[in-house]
Amino acid sequence: MTVDDFHSSIDAAASDIGRRPDATTERSALAAVVVPLRQIPATYPNQRPSPGRLRQIDRVFFGPFFREKYGTGGDKALENGRIRYYGPVQPANNAGELAGRRYVHEFDTMTGCTRGWHETLDRMGNVRQVRPERHNGMTGYYQFDSNGRYKGSW
Amino acid sequence: MEVDLQAVRRVFKDVLNGRMLREQADRWAYAVVREEETGVVTYSPPRERERIWAGVMYLYGIDTMIAPNAYLHSNDDIREAMASLGGVGDNLASTILRTLERPSQCLAVNRTSVLD
Repeated sequence: MTVDDFHSSIDAAASDIGRRPDATTERSALAAVVVPLRQIPATYPNQRPSPGRLRQIDRVFFGPFFREKYGTGGDKALENGRIRYYGPVQPANNAGELAGRRYVHEFDTMTGCTRGWHETLDRMGNVRQVRPERHNGMTGYYQFDSNGRYKGSW
Repeated sequence: MEVDLQAVRRVFKDVLNGRMLREQADRWAYAVVREEETGVVTYSPPRERERIWAGVMYLYGIDTMIAPNAYLHSNDDIREAMASLGGVGDNLASTILRTLERPSQCLAVNRTSVLD
């Protein structure tokens, strides 16, 4: 199991706090006065957007909302319709091979749900530990070796 | 919910002084993050929003451990992070300084273009 498998399989306390059920209504209400800055080609209803298209949508619609808050360290559009926003690495100067931690915020463009976790990185930039945000107050850590293989949890 | 830079700095100080557990600081920041998601957080003053948010996001996860009972961050790390936030009013001071420096920069550019 790798770090990416881990993110796909765990239930990292998905939350709908980022969902905006009124978004469609709001947009149609404003459609008469808002001039779109960029034309986005149409997508078929059941078609998953490609990462490139996802990035394009993100830049236009979600960017100002999520990137400024959570993505100052970068962002990545995934194949499954999700976008990950990476916070800056908060350095740790006395943690041996570990360089620091960052917060990752993931937005699912298909469902509107968001989830987040803290990652601990080594000096090579590998994710060595993941701590999902759980709403039940329990804290758990999932550790990986330098090759990304799952080691265990505590 | 209203958050200001002083409140954020106070949490940093309380953690460093041992008046607040890192776990409590993390939960405080998490509460702010959740409130922010629902759009009910106001930043005071609004021009400090970026710095306040940076402080909140540092505090969120400040209790990260690398092994049971071993925190990732040392107190020195936390002190550095607090220093990077700057003090209350620093932003205004730096804006004024930048404005004062601008005319001399323009002069330097003009002088170069004349010499060329």
